[in-house]
Amino acid sequence: MRKGFVLFLVLALLVVGVFSATPSRAQGTWSLAEAAKPYAGTEIRAFFLERPGYVAAQQMIPEFEKITGIKVTWDVTPYENSLEKQTLDFTGGTAQFDVVLVDVVWIGNFAANGWIVPLEKFYKNPALADPELNLDGFFPILLESFGTWNNVIYGLPFDNYSGLLYFNKCMLKEAGFDRPPDTWEELLNVYGPALTKDGKYAFALQSRRGETQSADSFMRVIWPFGGSLLKEDFTPNLSSPESLAGLKFRQELMKYMPPDIVAFDHDETVQALAQGQVAMITEWSAFYATLSNPATSRITDCLGITVEPAGPAGRRPALGGFSLAINSSSSEAKQAAAWLFIQWITSEAKAKEYAERGGVPGRRSVYSDPEMIAKFPHYPALAESWEKYGNPVFRPRFPEWPAISDVIAQFGTEMMLGNISVEEGVARIEAEMRTILRDYIEGRLPRLQ
Amino acid sequence: MANMADAVSLVETRRTARHRRFPRINWLALAMIMPSVIALLLIGLYPLLFAVSLSFQRFLLNRPQNNGMFVGFENYAKVLEDPLFWSSLGRTLTMLLIVLIIQIIAGIGIALLVDSSRWRVLNWVVKTVLVIPIAMTPAVVGLLGVLIFNRDFGLMNYLLGLIGIEKINWLGDPTMAMAAIIITDIWQWTPFAALIMLSSLALVPHDMIEAAKLDTKSGWMIFRYVKLPYLMPGITAFMIIRTADVLKLFDMPFTLTRGGPGVSTELISLYVQRMGFRIFDMGVASAQAVLLLILCIVLARAYIYFFYRAPEAE
Repeated sequence: MRKGFVLFLVLALLVVGVFSATPSRAQGTWSLAEAAKPYAGTEIRAFFLERPGYVAAQQMIPEFEKITGIKVTWDVTPYENSLEKQTLDFTGGTAQFDVVLVDVVWIGNFAANGWIVPLEKFYKNPALADPELNLDGFFPILLESFGTWNNVIYGLPFDNYSGLLYFNKCMLKEAGFDRPPDTWEELLNVYGPALTKDGKYAFALQSRRGETQSADSFMRVIWPFGGSLLKEDFTPNLSSPESLAGLKFRQELMKYMPPDIVAFDHDETVQALAQGQVAMITEWSAFYATLSNPATSRITDCLGITVEPAGPAGRRPALGGFSLAINSSSSEAKQAAAWLFIQWITSEAKAKEYAERGGVPGRRSVYSDPEMIAKFPHYPALAESWEKYGNPVFRPRFPEWPAISDVIAQFGTEMMLGNISVEEGVARIEAEMRTILRDYIEGRLPRLQ
Repeated sequence: MANMADAVSLVETRRTARHRRFPRINWLALAMIMPSVIALLLIGLYPLLFAVSLSFQRFLLNRPQNNGMFVGFENYAKVLEDPLFWSSLGRTLTMLLIVLIIQIIAGIGIALLVDSSRWRVLNWVVKTVLVIPIAMTPAVVGLLGVLIFNRDFGLMNYLLGLIGIEKINWLGDPTMAMAAIIITDIWQWTPFAALIMLSSLALVPHDMIEAAKLDTKSGWMIFRYVKLPYLMPGITAFMIIRTADVLKLFDMPFTLTRGGPGVSTELISLYVQRMGFRIFDMGVASAQAVLLLILCIVLARAYIYFFYRAPEAE
């Protein structure tokens, strides 16, 4: 009798176990509405920027709210203040934001300090993980660089950028070119002189002090020339002949740029192309929306887009973008609700809608869809940049980057202004970097970037 | 006459009697003042003390493991040895000197002009117009500046072009970028000087001016010896307010030039912000802020000592 009872119990447990935890059940019946039931009425707050991808998300949120009963609110912050605002939220443990925004260069900072939750907790939980989540569907470079730190996934790619070469086909044609420059050298020696005339300039490289100077201008010329910011042992590599060649190239190229180029941020640069002031710019993919819209651009009919030019070391376009992650200080319920939102907004199923509303999804499937390519002619160049030339350490992602970025921004601008020579500027940046990175160089911190 | 003496003695006895008694506490008044006193302590004194205590600690927001360690005067030593701190402080003080001189002179000029005008409507219109720049948010002023000082399609270069001056590279040239910030500050705060001077001029007794006119025909002499003494308290107050203002001037230059190109417009407050919220070294940033506060107090005392003369003293 007793044996029989034990046997029954074991069998019963097995049956329950099989039916409750097998993937087949999850795949068969998982739905967002079901998964969200325990969290209906939960309110989560997201950290957004004032850029097209976030506007797209805002337009899509009502649908998510309708399905799940989870309320999603958001704060829109200028990029320049967003690191500061989120860091204060994390260090204060105030959990003002449940869905946090991680720039490619902040992931090390946020993850190493335990401010964001490893997503394993959710995507391995069958109750919360959409069987169609398909992490492999993201461009690997995006998931790796914006979402992953030390082999742990913390965020899903949401707002994705690659540097592209935008050019004014009409201006190029007028000067006798039927294609954009293929290499940086060509841009300088052939296109530069031919297109700089009558108060117009061949090229504009956004170089305003700040992340624009350090990431968009300085690092952009280091990589294609074979240089890099750091050596293997994390000592600076800016004084290597390759890095110096890149920086000297930038100085030379300045004669074909507007004279106030050090005051150019993204807006000024995009405007300069949109108004026909310059013939070519290398800018983030996200600005396609501005440049292709007749309301904000005069050159919609002349707009050409291709991958960034190659240097002696090949093509190394700028990489940037943001993933969405979850605040560790948020309550369990809010974390789960935030996960459901992030999973939904970055899903393959919503990627097309997100793109059509102005976002730049990180899902590969969208970029091979002929219908989408017809709508967004810059997609092939974008996919090629990510698939072939993606450089996950375009900027290091450790917590010290903001401090280094700041030093580069200062001396990089001084260099461009001619206040100091390239060599002297590099020497000063390297001296500061050695102090900032001392713990890595001397082996007290793991060398992760 | 006798009545008068009685009255005086009566008042005096009352005064001494009140002094002898234990001072009565007016609970109602106290209750009404307390909320604002508490609020002031909370939002004024507490953060100040907190910053002072932070300035003696290691406090890195992005490496929080060893935060809170007492480091003595290490942060202060770092600040004092930092050439960038000194250069940004020098830049700020130069700007302060330039804007103070121009704003005070221009402010007095506008005030004298409006004061001497006989059309009341004009007075009223000018006073209203003067308030507009002061009422604008500095960050917005900075953003407008970006458009106004744009080299290619900015208003400033357009206006200069009308009188035949070539395009100026306002925001891309280190000197001109500083000039742009100074011009913007002068535009925004000269009206404030003018309003203060106007209210000071209203204090000058009319008969005193009439009397002075009998002695001299020189407008300058009347201004120098009759009106200026009445303006001095206002000028001193203006100098103190603007000194504190320029030392913490942040929003406008941040949105206008972000401290660039290079470090050419990096004022001290931008540098402190950079230290605190870009490099996230709160210890050093607090030490900088405390030093600035000390500087501000010293300057304010100096202004009062050197410039403040009550009108009666002259």
